[in-house]
Amino acid sequence: MSVHWDRYRATAGPGDGDCLSLKGSSFRDGGLRQIASQTVRLGRLQPQHPGHRTIFCNDREANLLVRFKGNSVSTTKYNIFTFLPKGLFEQFRRVANLYFLMISILSTTPISPVHPITNVVPLSLVLLVSLVKEAFEDWKRLQSDMAINNTPVEVLQDQRWETIPWKKLQVGDIVRVKQDSFFPADLLFLASTNPDGICYIETSNLDGETNLKIRKALERTWDYMLPEKASKLKGEIQCEQPNNSLYTFTGNLIIDDQILPVSPNQLLLRGCSLRNSDYIVGAIIFTGHETKVMMNSMNVPSKRSTLERKLDKLILALFVALFFMCLIGAIGSGVFISRKYFYLGLTGHVEEQFNPSNRFVVSILTMFTLLTLYSTIIPISLYVSIEMIKFIQCAQFINKDLHMYHAESNTPALARTSNLNEELGQVEYIFSDKTGTLTRNLMEFFKCSIGGEVYGTRVTEIERGIAQRNGVKIDETRSATVIQEKGFNFDDPRLMCGAWRNERNPEICMEFFRCLAVCHTVLPEGGESPEKITYQAASPDEAALVTAAKNFGFFFYRRTPTSIMVRESNIEDMGNVQDATYEILNVLEFNSTRKRQSVVCRYPNGRLVLYCKGADIVIYERLAVDASDNIKNLTREHLEQFGSAGLRTLCLAYRELSIEFYDKWNEKFIQAKSSLCDREKKLDEVAELVEKDLILIGCTAIEDKLQDGVPLCIETLSRAGIKIWVLTGDKMETAINIAYACSLINNSMKQFIISSETDAIREVEDNRGDPVQTARVIKNSVRQDLDRYLQEAQLLLRSTDGPRLALVIDGKCLMHALDPSLRVSLLKLSLNCSSVVCCRVSPLQKAQVTSLVKKGARKITLSIGDGANDVSMIQAAHVGVGMSGLEGMQAVMASDFAIAQFRFLTDLLLVHGRWSYLRLCKVITYFFYKNLTFTLTQFWFTFQTGFSGQRFYDDWFQSLYNVIFTALPVIIVGLFDKDVSALISKKYPELYKEGIRNMFFKWRVVAIWAFFSVYQSLVIYNITLVSSQNGHNSSGKIFGQWNVSTMAFTCVVVTVNLRLLMACNSITKWHHMSVWGSILAWFVFIFIYSGIMTPWDRNRKMYILLFVLMSTFYFYVSLFLIPVVALLGDFVFQGVQRLLFPYDYQIVQEMHRHDIEESRSDLLEVGNHMTPDEARSFALARLPREQSKHTGFAFDSPGFESFFASQQGIFAPQKPWDVVRRASAKSKHKRSKA
Amino acid sequence: MEMEGGSSLGSGGAVQPISFPSWRQRVFYKFTQQNLSACKPALSPTLVITLFLLMGIAFVPVGLICLRASENVEEFVVRYDIECIPENYRGNKVAYIKDETISKRCTLSIKMLNHMKAPIYVYYELDNYYQNHRRYVKSRSDKQLLHGLQLNDISSCLPVESHNGLPVVPCGLIAWSFFNDTFTFHRKALNLSVNRKNISWKSDRDHKFGKDVYPFNFQNDTLVGGGKLDPSIPLNEQEDLIVWMRVAALPKFRKLYGIIEEDLDADELLTVHLMNNYNTYSFGGKKNLVLTTSNWLGGKNSFLGISYIATGCCSILASILFALIHVKNPRPQREPSCSVWSRKSSSR
Repeated sequence: MSVHWDRYRATAGPGDGDCLSLKGSSFRDGGLRQIASQTVRLGRLQPQHPGHRTIFCNDREANLLVRFKGNSVSTTKYNIFTFLPKGLFEQFRRVANLYFLMISILSTTPISPVHPITNVVPLSLVLLVSLVKEAFEDWKRLQSDMAINNTPVEVLQDQRWETIPWKKLQVGDIVRVKQDSFFPADLLFLASTNPDGICYIETSNLDGETNLKIRKALERTWDYMLPEKASKLKGEIQCEQPNNSLYTFTGNLIIDDQILPVSPNQLLLRGCSLRNSDYIVGAIIFTGHETKVMMNSMNVPSKRSTLERKLDKLILALFVALFFMCLIGAIGSGVFISRKYFYLGLTGHVEEQFNPSNRFVVSILTMFTLLTLYSTIIPISLYVSIEMIKFIQCAQFINKDLHMYHAESNTPALARTSNLNEELGQVEYIFSDKTGTLTRNLMEFFKCSIGGEVYGTRVTEIERGIAQRNGVKIDETRSATVIQEKGFNFDDPRLMCGAWRNERNPEICMEFFRCLAVCHTVLPEGGESPEKITYQAASPDEAALVTAAKNFGFFFYRRTPTSIMVRESNIEDMGNVQDATYEILNVLEFNSTRKRQSVVCRYPNGRLVLYCKGADIVIYERLAVDASDNIKNLTREHLEQFGSAGLRTLCLAYRELSIEFYDKWNEKFIQAKSSLCDREKKLDEVAELVEKDLILIGCTAIEDKLQDGVPLCIETLSRAGIKIWVLTGDKMETAINIAYACSLINNSMKQFIISSETDAIREVEDNRGDPVQTARVIKNSVRQDLDRYLQEAQLLLRSTDGPRLALVIDGKCLMHALDPSLRVSLLKLSLNCSSVVCCRVSPLQKAQVTSLVKKGARKITLSIGDGANDVSMIQAAHVGVGMSGLEGMQAVMASDFAIAQFRFLTDLLLVHGRWSYLRLCKVITYFFYKNLTFTLTQFWFTFQTGFSGQRFYDDWFQSLYNVIFTALPVIIVGLFDKDVSALISKKYPELYKEGIRNMFFKWRVVAIWAFFSVYQSLVIYNITLVSSQNGHNSSGKIFGQWNVSTMAFTCVVVTVNLRLLMACNSITKWHHMSVWGSILAWFVFIFIYSGIMTPWDRNRKMYILLFVLMSTFYFYVSLFLIPVVALLGDFVFQGVQRLLFPYDYQIVQEMHRHDIEESRSDLLEVGNHMTPDEARSFALARLPREQSKHTGFAFDSPGFESFFASQQGIFAPQKPWDVVRRASAKSKHKRSKA
Repeated sequence: MEMEGGSSLGSGGAVQPISFPSWRQRVFYKFTQQNLSACKPALSPTLVITLFLLMGIAFVPVGLICLRASENVEEFVVRYDIECIPENYRGNKVAYIKDETISKRCTLSIKMLNHMKAPIYVYYELDNYYQNHRRYVKSRSDKQLLHGLQLNDISSCLPVESHNGLPVVPCGLIAWSFFNDTFTFHRKALNLSVNRKNISWKSDRDHKFGKDVYPFNFQNDTLVGGGKLDPSIPLNEQEDLIVWMRVAALPKFRKLYGIIEEDLDADELLTVHLMNNYNTYSFGGKKNLVLTTSNWLGGKNSFLGISYIATGCCSILASILFALIHVKNPRPQREPSCSVWSRKSSSR
């Protein structure tokens, strides 16, 4: 015991907060002194410093004291005991369910006119359906948990590797993990079979990225490989407490009094898997629910659709209606009750509800009575039905639509949430990222500028587009030297095949190529010959640059942790090949704040050079002052030229370093690197010290190709009344050109440009340098621009056929325009524009713009993007769409829908979204109507019963009305109704505008349904009752109340079901089956119910009743008359509406009425004549869809710079680790082939 | 293991050899691609006009048939609740009806208007009588009516469930307020027999009222609601009670009293001797005596027939209106130029 205490004292952190600055033994003494006074009081309660944990490797007993959590995880929501209470609690958080629970309780009291079953049966059926669904989902989770918990893993016990299940692992254990298996917990990486203590891990379960990442063990621990050696490891690990930050970790490993700082680079997270290494050995740091992955698996608050929020209002309106109905009844009952009705037995002792001496109490109690009686006005099964409909829409329609299946990347569309389907039908604003979304993210080295000279003869599509607009024709000739390769689309005989040596300045060319070959984080794979090699890069730009270097004769073929090997040809003589090894001393990584990447390398001859590449702004800031202005200016010109051609540019620069300077700097660098507090910030600061006085080499230009069908898609969407905003980090010229290329902007549009690149602003920036002053100037100019443009826009809009408007704004101006004082004018102006381009915007600004429109204009927004920088925007919009298939998956993980190509938006919005919206509107309004009609007949009866609250219908009628007799048809309509076919939906995008204007769920529409509901209930109630007064068969016998009410109920069921059929735009056999089936179900029910009398039957009033009823002509005559009269009103209305005030879709329907029913894809119509491609996609459609498996690892919010995090002022750090990517599409291909 | 597949969406997409899709797969495929064959009932003007016309053509004849059937029924209604009160009590009818010492005998003379063919049904009709009041409706025990005294739980019969500690059979307000006016008919001083048998639903007699259940302790309270029952006759033979106990749906209702099985001629004088026992005066209820014949459609009921005819006429009218609108103001079909969006965009 005392030993551990000593250890504890020695290792518990210093008292000064979270930042451990470790300075060897001095720290230990200080820590000892500081803590010693506290230990006495602490006892064994919490021997851990709250900020840190201490782990003793390979020593279970020592760790026992702290009681770390076990490694078994449970992701289930419930267990056997909590399922019912917790599940029910979840259900009763819905207002409708809670209301029905209250009504059910109320109906057990004597004031209720109805038997409790009236309300209990529908409630329990609804609950049952929901609970079964919950239980099923939880069962699947339990199964996967058990599978995970019982996965075997090898753990070190008594100098041997023993296989035990994951759940038995404990903190401090030493485990061995084999290739391709998953890490069972968060591990400290000790040793690997690879040389240099490296291992590769795949993190797809964490962030969805399928690229490989490198981890490197501490050199000191490399040899703890074999069990005999590993069992001798008696180290302590001090580290932070479990937290959810995936990309940070600070800790120390203490072996033999030696303190070794541990970084995320030595951390292997649970959920990742080991690749390309035979096995690794690690010590467990965090287990089970304390692993970073599990700490991250919180639920993102789910989005609710606008329609559903409006539905809440409708439900509220129903509650108000219910209240007034009850109030009327209650007042009536107070007025009615009187002793003069002697037959009611109101003399003597009378219960309070009927006591005429206290009419007020009578009214109050009757209020509750009526509340239970009219409870059917609230559609209890509505939510369940909607959930089912939406679920099927997602799982069967959206996910399996062949029109949204991308065959090349084998990616179908994916609906990740099922509650936003109808939102897709109302989108008015689309916020789109550019790169990877509009463009293919297929980067090709296209042009470059070296030492002030432009190389590259190719013409971009955008240039061609511009030329076409200007009426110039471009001829492109291809030279013989052209090399076609992925990532390389460059042609210039001046550079190829070593020809560069004859250029004016071959030295600078050589620096250019070396920089390309050396300054990167690319990992070669495949083989060491130029043909076989494939490059795994963090971004396709990098791969393109390295590929370019290869083609220029600087073939990077191998990377070791400390060096890069380049096979250089044609340096001295033509055809001469030599291998050069550049020692990589430091890598200063790329991140979005630095916007540059540097490498310090040592030439074989000892020359120290820093190569740097990055955005033009940051590089130009850091150029040496005395460097020739000529190259600078020329290159800047070229940059602008490239930019306007839609190319992505990077500046390259280098700097020679002296050994003394380097040594001094390196010391600081190492210090920063081992600091445990603000490591990134310190590293950035240190990097600033060396990245200066750079010499510009030139710049590269990479083409980012447009995706297929983007211009057409954008045109279609804008015809549909959707406004598309492009938010991009690119330069203004690039952005505008891309906007032109994808027909977002054209020459007939009036462009408003708000730019910070005006002379006035630049002058202020250059001269004063005072940030406050600069900001004020920019803001003023932005304000002036906004006001001026706004006036102009309003003027243009007033004229009848003015041009359409487009707004272009850059990030700096946007920052000021988003200021509260200018926000309103920005919003006004931008809402008048049909397309808006924001360039140079940060991820946060993307989200701000999105929420500006979402909150400010209250329009429905959709964000689409592919990368981590779009996550905040995707989360901020009503609907987030991620691009799946190619790159990393952060955007997909944060999105609600994932599609593979931008053009699939047409199908997603115009077909699926529109249909979902139409169907949901129909379902909701119909639900509203059918419950109102039913309840109103009951309400009218109340007037005839002295407001006593006598029920009109039998308990079972009322309880089964919602769940059996009218349940199925409406679901069928929610699934199958379609006004016009998918092709026509896309042919007439204007139809979509009805959704944007919310034409089908306005209060006016609801009011029309309500009006006809009142009309129908009056017809049904009155005709039934008035015509039933006299004797109705030849024996002159009179019907009683229950006969009449059964008659009325039959009419309600028939009418309501037929009304649904009238509301359908297309009627399939499923419609018929469900509608006639429901009516039949009622008759079957009533036949059995009135035909069989059981001893425990509550009352005999229903017995034989139907047979009596059906033996009269009255029954048939009324049954024929009443539904017809009831539906006559609707019919006339529909006819008039269609004739005089048609909806757009109705016009289109008529235009295409005589078309042959065209099917969306004819592959099956021709039977077995399928092309291989079609057959393949058909097979895919038929395959059981691979469920997104729940692994316990998936989490929906990537640790990336989240909009919400930054809103709350939480610093979300960049990924520090070295990134080596494997192009995900590739690896997928391989695996699916395997 | 669970995690294996999670990394790639498409790992299930490996191409399998295609077999010819089965019928089920085709249906499912059509389902997922939302291609189910469907008919599209668009309410075009022609369709609307035709439908209305057809409906009118179908409904008017049915209505005429119903109306004619109803016309064929002879119905004779006479109100007697006022006339049967002596002049001096007209000011205080309630006192009259409650005073048991006064004889309630009353005589009405009816002159038949038309010939009535046997069987002639005799109804009494009450108005403003809330048989459907909640307190009233639930104050009965169906089980007791069937099983009699064996049944102890008669709490549903409150407030008339027991008297002097003994249960009441039949219990409850409905039975307690049993209608007890009686009618006898005379024709030229001869007694016209009224058949009082078989006036209730057979199902009620057989299944709802016990054949060995006898009235017990009935109307023994100080407060007497209505008629008394002969304790020696089982409930299933007390047909008046059975009719009474089938509660009416509306406050105005008829109940069958008996059947006259002789024809009545036109202009014939009929004398009705009635005992005006039942108190409807306290709540202002009317009492009518109804004589009616019946046919296949039941009693006199012109409402259904008129409804049919009205609906049919409305339909025809609507079809004419639609036709007029359609002819005078035809919306050009198959022409996208009239589409709403083009109108709107041109106005912009």
